[in-house]
Amino acid sequence: MESTDRFVPVRDGTTIMAVVYDGGVMLGADSRTTEGSLVYNRVSDKIEPIHKRIFCLRSGNSSHTQKIAQLCRLYVSQLGSELEQAPPVYSAAKIIQSFIYNYKSFLSAAMICAGWDPVKGPQIYTVPLGGTLVREKIATGGSGSAYMSGFVDTHFKEGMTRKECRDFMIQSISLAMFRDSSSGGIIRLVDITKDGVSREYISHDQLPLKQPLSLIH
Amino acid sequence: GDVYKRQGLRICYKMAGSGYDYDVSTLSPEGKIYQVEYAMKATENSSTIMGMVCKDGVLLGTEKLIVSEMMVSGSDRRVYSVTKQIGMVITGLLPDGRCLIDRAKEESASFQKQYGIPITGKVLADRIAQFMHMNTIYLWARPYGCNIIIASLDEGTGPALHLIDPSGQCFGYFGCAAGKGRQIARNEIEKLGSKNLTCKECAFHLAKILHKCHEEMKEKKFELEMSWICPESGMVHQMLPKDIQKELEARAQETLEKEAMADVQSQIMKNINICLLYTSD
Repeated sequence: MESTDRFVPVRDGTTIMAVVYDGGVMLGADSRTTEGSLVYNRVSDKIEPIHKRIFCLRSGNSSHTQKIAQLCRLYVSQLGSELEQAPPVYSAAKIIQSFIYNYKSFLSAAMICAGWDPVKGPQIYTVPLGGTLVREKIATGGSGSAYMSGFVDTHFKEGMTRKECRDFMIQSISLAMFRDSSSGGIIRLVDITKDGVSREYISHDQLPLKQPLSLIH
Repeated sequence: GDVYKRQGLRICYKMAGSGYDYDVSTLSPEGKIYQVEYAMKATENSSTIMGMVCKDGVLLGTEKLIVSEMMVSGSDRRVYSVTKQIGMVITGLLPDGRCLIDRAKEESASFQKQYGIPITGKVLADRIAQFMHMNTIYLWARPYGCNIIIASLDEGTGPALHLIDPSGQCFGYFGCAAGKGRQIARNEIEKLGSKNLTCKECAFHLAKILHKCHEEMKEKKFELEMSWICPESGMVHQMLPKDIQKELEARAQETLEKEAMADVQSQIMKNINICLLYTSD
């Protein structure tokens, strides 16, 4: 066995996605964490809470993204107590960007930061591998995002209702999970509005596009 | 306190603190920190500074004595911009104040760098207050001998004023003043109710109050420094344009003279009435 086989980093192969709809923002992710070709965790949670109304989606090396999310949580909570009001989503994204940009030669992390704040409403910021920071109405990431780009580009529209958004996301992520070997398991969804946050998951038998049970890891 | 005088040697004053005031890390039996009180004394007799929160913005102002005819006008600055939407004015020991302004600029820059958003007035005021307070607990440093007013206009919270004194106490105000003329200024501000006026209207009152504070020392030359953060200034902290300031000051002088005349006239009328009272039997 070659030495390179012995240490394979645990990766969130992943399909992650965030969409702004009329009234809030919805985040969705698959739940497969791989270590090489082994499915390390088939029910992992790639949606990390940062603050009451701010969450981030992780893709890339699991340990890197978990650490970045943890540090982001720390700084944002300090900011929240200094400001004595809801911290801006932009600040959380800026903190994530500062880590990914400054340590880009050591890290393999691409994250999406999304949430709601009283000044700008629902927002999504992507921070890909190099450390750019871009604000978007819809963001996708991870290895599975390539397989759903066609569908997303055709069917996304601004200002969807909550139900339309949820159906759109479930369909897109299923498509990605169907074709990408690094994505699979269940779909986790988090819905952030000014009134609160709700979490749910779509289990295998509820997916619109399912693989036969015998092929499930 | 008592005054001792020795022939041929320097005069020694027995301090009010009598032994508990040698350094700032000592508390007196009454529970006072004399060094901090002495620092506050440094600001009590210095130039008046004041600020007012208005309906659409915030104003800052100070009156400063012209120390020398030979000085380049504008080089003795008291009002500074810390960020685009935060201004600060200092009184007391001015070098101490300028050091704090540098510190404020650093804090704002590092906050913006880390969090991506401009620092808010309250956060900056809290940080500067903590910084000033730090100098009141350790043996090797003395308190900053200055009062500062921080004026800010945030998107979220609107216009705000914070006054910080040498002990590190920091409160938010709708209108505040410090320095020699603080009592006069505070009375006038309370009477005014600036929250219902726009900055443009209030700027005249600011000039008038500052002139009023200076009335006791009319012989000494002085000039005003005023600044605002309001729609007229493009929502950024800006010194009042020279022509506007000149016009406001002229009007303020006129109004004060008229009020003084009116006072004298009403006094005369009162006396006449008293005379009439006595002669009408």
